[in-house]
This record gives sequence, structure tokens and C-alpha cells, in this order.
Amino acid sequence: MAAPERDPLTGYATTGHEWDGIKELTTPIPHWWVTVFLGSCLVALLYMWLFPSFATTSGVFKGTLGWTSEGQFAEEMAAGRAAQADWRHQLAQTPLDQVESHPDLRRFAIAGGRAAFNENCAPCHGVGAGGQIGQFPALVDDDWLWGGSLAAIQQTVRFGIRSGHEETRDSMMPAFGEMLSAAEIDSIADYVLTLSDPAAVVTRASLPGAELFAANCAACHGATGEGSRDFGAPRLDDAIWLYGGTRDAIRHQIATPRMGMMPAFAGKLDDDTIRMLALYVHSLGGGER
Amino acid sequence: MPATTLQGLAPSRAIARPDIPHATRGRFRRIKTSLTCLMLGIYFLTPWLRWERGEGLPGQAVLFDLPGRRLMVFGLEFWPQDLPIAVGMMIFGAMALFFATTLAGRVWCGFACPQTVWSDLFFAVDRLIVRLVGKGASERRLRTVAWLLIALATGVGFTGYFIDAPTLPGLLLTGRAPAIAYATVLVLTGTTWLLAAYARERVCLHMCPWPRFQAALLDRQSLVVTYQHGRGEPRGRRRTPLRPDLALHGFGELQSTGPAIGPAPAAPRLMGLVAEAVAFSALAPSPSLRGDCIDCTRCVTVCPTGVDIRRGLQMGCIGCGLCIDACNEVMARLDRPEGLIRFDVESAPRRSFLAPPRVDWLRPKALAFGLAALLALGFSGYGMATLAQVSVHAEPQRNPPFVQLSDGSVRNDYALRLAHRRAGLARVALHAEGLNGALLRLGTQDLPAAEVVRVAIGSDRTLDERLLVVLPARAAPSGRQDFTVVVREAETGEELARIPTYFWGPER
Repeated sequence: MAAPERDPLTGYATTGHEWDGIKELTTPIPHWWVTVFLGSCLVALLYMWLFPSFATTSGVFKGTLGWTSEGQFAEEMAAGRAAQADWRHQLAQTPLDQVESHPDLRRFAIAGGRAAFNENCAPCHGVGAGGQIGQFPALVDDDWLWGGSLAAIQQTVRFGIRSGHEETRDSMMPAFGEMLSAAEIDSIADYVLTLSDPAAVVTRASLPGAELFAANCAACHGATGEGSRDFGAPRLDDAIWLYGGTRDAIRHQIATPRMGMMPAFAGKLDDDTIRMLALYVHSLGGGER
Repeated sequence: MPATTLQGLAPSRAIARPDIPHATRGRFRRIKTSLTCLMLGIYFLTPWLRWERGEGLPGQAVLFDLPGRRLMVFGLEFWPQDLPIAVGMMIFGAMALFFATTLAGRVWCGFACPQTVWSDLFFAVDRLIVRLVGKGASERRLRTVAWLLIALATGVGFTGYFIDAPTLPGLLLTGRAPAIAYATVLVLTGTTWLLAAYARERVCLHMCPWPRFQAALLDRQSLVVTYQHGRGEPRGRRRTPLRPDLALHGFGELQSTGPAIGPAPAAPRLMGLVAEAVAFSALAPSPSLRGDCIDCTRCVTVCPTGVDIRRGLQMGCIGCGLCIDACNEVMARLDRPEGLIRFDVESAPRRSFLAPPRVDWLRPKALAFGLAALLALGFSGYGMATLAQVSVHAEPQRNPPFVQLSDGSVRNDYALRLAHRRAGLARVALHAEGLNGALLRLGTQDLPAAEVVRVAIGSDRTLDERLLVVLPARAAPSGRQDFTVVVREAETGEELARIPTYFWGPER
């Protein structure tokens, strides 16, 4: 290694390294660059000191600010809620059936209801509330088991159906498979099929199932199959069959009935959200007065 | 203010550029002053114009309604989807600018550009202050105050384009204006102060892209501010005898008869060539004969960008013509004909220095730009004349694709969104065309479905509804059937919009 010297051509000092007569110039990184680099390192260290940054043997260093992503999420949600507070207050003060006359409030409620619906109801009833045949009823049509008024929908959402909540909507259809013979069930099914056929109004009274229906079914489903919302007994005289409208499906339903269950949302969702849900479901096309 | 010049070459002698360009009087100064007043008037007064649009709508003639996402311009209302019209207007602006530049150089820069207009205002204010209090500390203080006041007025004035202008000053003063209004005022005040009061011609020289591509637009036929070398050179002091060819051919007499009647053509032209040859050969420091230029440097000291036009067209020249005025004043005092510096073309063969420039106005390049500008204007004009007054969307709700109703009929739902900008439209009627037996209902309406559904539109001029279309069981298609939702004015029955969509029925 030669002694450092000044290169006469460029004016730079050499490092003293020399290979085969070729000398290395000292061309240091620019001063501003080094400053910025060191500054960045300092910022990085500060950042590590302030925020959760590295694992320790016993867990994680939590940072001196106490910041967590969950905490930030909660803060942002709370801020969102606070921003809605005025609207929510208005909604709580307005009787459900009068929200319709406040277009802005209604828009707010329905937007909130849609979000809550997609989160809580869509898994069974579908994102568009179309239901699933054989499983869960559609909420967009004009056929309601327990009523389609705002108040009825609100009550159903709040307390559920056969949910075990003390105010739940509840009813039970007996399993007629244990009480009636297969032939009797067949004739009831045949009779039920005629209920939705306007052409059969006169002729169906003479069917063998007519008497059996009056004795066993009419108490809940009504003399002409018009259903009863007090018991959640579905209409049998319309075109909508939750568990299927074929003869087999009806026989099956008479012998070993299936009855849907819906959880109570009181306690899970706050009252405002339930009101929004009721307004949203009511707006889907089947809402009743 | 330090002198700014783009020229690397030193001028023939060092010219001390004044802090503030000197004032001039003359034709171009008058045009410039009137245009400055006109432009400032337009910019400041436009927001205060009123235009009655009806209840619930802003009464300001020109309003950039950002929260409402609309632009109101007198009787027209623009929505974001009308952007092609704005693009058309921008293309028109660009092409008109190219057209003007091809014909007459940077007249836009010299007379109409906001930067020039405000710089001109600030130069005038500075000159006035110097005249009132002279130079010194009080002048500097007064100047700062005046600059800030003008900048603030600009800030407030232009914020008026975005918010109801007449109420804005009151709101600002009482602290009730929205925060964004204060921010806008602050930003506009700051930029006005920085760009127009402080930077002034430096913006034209160093920041503006326009001078950079004027070279691509100018040609030898363009009218640009030109110093007539052949007539002016060699420069000399006033006492130096005038070149005999200039004196001989009686420019002095010509002034009275006017430049249109020139001397006999052949000799002056020859003499002109001789004079140019003399000019370029006789740049000796103290010539024994001089041309018309007495090197008074007035053309430099009045120039807002500080260029020396005698060195030819250059990037710093904004084509304002103030040097022409200054030189003409001097020529008049010397009893010499005007036009040593004038708007001229480079290539025209001239009969004499006094003959007016012969401009070929019908050049293909200029015509092409003019045509393009007219096309763009026509496109935008057509767009404005045929703006859709009502915008409707009906989006089929496909989850579920259809709803089976209890009486066997089938329902399809649509998200209906309507927005309009038509004066006096209060109710619309909807019906389904091409779907026999279809009954319509709106989600919020507690009415039985009907063939035609009527709905009132509120003052927000929008409708956001669930449209329910019901077909009886017999009429319901198996699968998809196309049809059209027709929107009409409820009272007159005038068709406002047609939305092609489809109905989906259970497959059989």
C-alpha cells in the first residue's frame, strides 16, 4: 500500500490502494447523501421506539405510544358512529312508520340496514334477500309467515323465531306421520294442492282430503288454507312453497314437518340497527302497511 | 428586482434594466390597458352575475359547484360525464392559440394571459407608488401592502367562483365561511403574490412551457415584433449624421404622406439592401454615420420581460408591442417616421422600410389550425346544444333474478336512478314498453302496481328508487325478455329517456 497522495489529474486524494500502477481515488459519498441516510436511520430508530417493532423472548415490544391496529380500528369505528350520531338520534325519535316521510332519514336507515343485512341476515336469506327454496324464506316477495308490516318485521328481527328468547315467535306443527295413516296423508296432500287452484273451488269440497283438512289443519292454516300469521302458519292457497310445492314435498311436510329457526338479534344488534334492518327489509318490495 | 435576461450574449453595451419597466404611451399601450381592464373586469365581476334558475338552485350565473359535482354557466349545467365538452373546449383553446401564434406570434402572452394581465397591474401599481412617494423604505412598505391587498382581492374574488360570491365576503369576515373557503382564499392569495407580484416576468421566462414551443408554430410569415436592422443600424448617438440613404430618400417627408405611398420601388429597395450590408459591416464602436436607432435603450427599459428586441426575436419576447410604442415616441421626437420596431414578417420582400408588411393570411398551417379550432368549437357547441337533460339508469337486481309472488305472478326489481337538469320538471311517468301486461310500482310508494307509474321529483332533482315490475304468471317469459323503460314528462307526455333493459322469468 502506497502512501496516500493527491492525484494531479483530478485533484482528488487517493486511498493509497494501488494495483498494477492503478490507484484508487477517494471519492466519498456526497455529504448531503450521508446526512439524509443517517437522518433516515434516526427516524427508523425513533419509529421502532414509538411503535410495536420487534419480537422479544417473552412476546413483542409494544412501543411507547401504545398503538395497536385493533385500537386504531376501534377508534375509527367509534368516530364513524359519532359522525352518525345525529342521524341515529333522529331515527330513534321517529316512529318507524313515519320514517318514510323523511327521505333523507329513510335513505340513511336503508343504507345502514343494507349493511347490517349483508352482515347478519344474508348468510341464510341471501344477499338480495331472495331466500333459498327448501331452506329460508324470501323477504322480497309478498308472502309473510309472521307478517310484513314494519312492526312485525322489527319484532321478528328482534326476538327471532323459535329462537329460545323468552319473547320469541313460536309455534309447532305436529308430525302427522305419527297420527294419520299414509293414505290419509296422501289425500290431505291432494286436497292442499287444489287450494291454490282457483278452478277447483267447487270440486275440491268433494275430495276425501277435505274433511281430514278441516279436522286437522284448518285450525292453524285456515278453512281455505289462507294461513295464520299469529302462528306463523303459512298460506297454502298461494304459489309460494317454502319447502316445495310438489305432492311429495307436501306429503313429507305433513308427515315430518320442518320448521325454520331464526335467532333473536336483540342483544346482538342495537335497537337502531334493528330498526334500520326492519326498514330495509320492508323496502325490498313486499313491505305491508 | 434583479434584471432577468435569457441571452447569453452581452448586449452591444451594458443596459441597466430598471426595477420597474418604464411607462409608455401609444397604440399598443392603449390596447394592452383596455385588455387588462377588460380581463380583470371579466375575472372579478363574473362571479357576481346572477341567473335565476328556480327554487332550490343556485342563483349565481357562473358557479363551480364542487359539492354538487356540477358546473353552472348561465343557462347551462354541466355534470362530470359532460367532460368531452370540456375536452372539446380545451382543444378549441389550444387550436385557437396555435392559430393566433402562427399569424401574430405570442399575442396571447402579450395581451390576454392572466400572468401578463396581473403582472401589468402590479407594474402599474409599482410605478404609481414610486411616483407618489419616491423610492425608499416607505415605497417598499407601501408596495408590500399594495401587493398583499391585490393578492387578497384576487384570492377572495376567485373563491367566489366556487361559492355564492355576494355572501362570501361577509362569511369570511365573520368567520362563518367553510374551512375550505379560507384555504382556497389563502392558496389563491399566496399564488397571486408569488407568481404575479413577486415572480412576474420570471414565470414567462423560466416557468411557462408556452415560449418553448412557440418556435414550432412561428414561421417566416408570422407577424412578430421586429426591429428593422436595415433601417436602424449602425446605431449611433443622435449627433452622428444619419446614413445618406435614409436621409436621401426622404423618410421625413414620407411621414406626412403616410407609409402607403412609398417612393419609387427599385432604388429604395436597392438602397435598403445596401443599408443592410452597411449595417452588418459597420458595427464599429463609433460609426461615422448612423441608422435610425440612436441606442436610447427605451425599447429595453419598457420591456416587461427585459429583452433587447434589437437582437431579433427571442424566447423572452411576449409580443406585447410596448417597445414599438416606446420607439415610435422617440422616432416622433426625432421627426423620423414610425415603425423602426414594428409587427412585421421576416420573409416578405419589401419595397421600402415603410411599406406595411405583406402578410399571407391564408397559409395552410394557419388555415389548418383555424379549421381544427372551428371543428373543436363545433363539437363542443353541438354537445352543449344536445346535453341530455335527464339521466336515468335502471339496473336489474339479479339477486334473486326474479321474485315469485303469491298469486303466481313474477316480479323483477330494478335500481332506478334519475338525475335531471331541466327547468320545471316536477313529475315523471314511467312505463315498460315491449312487456305486455307489465305493472309498475316504486318501492316507496304505497300504491297498487299500475301500467304507468308517476312520481314527483324533489328539489334535489334526483330520484333513487327501487322500481318493481310485475308480470302475470301467463305473461312471464321463460328466461330473458328485453324491454324498455320509458320515462316521460308526467304532464306533457314528452319522452325524456329510454332505458333498454330486460325481464327475467322462471324457466319452464
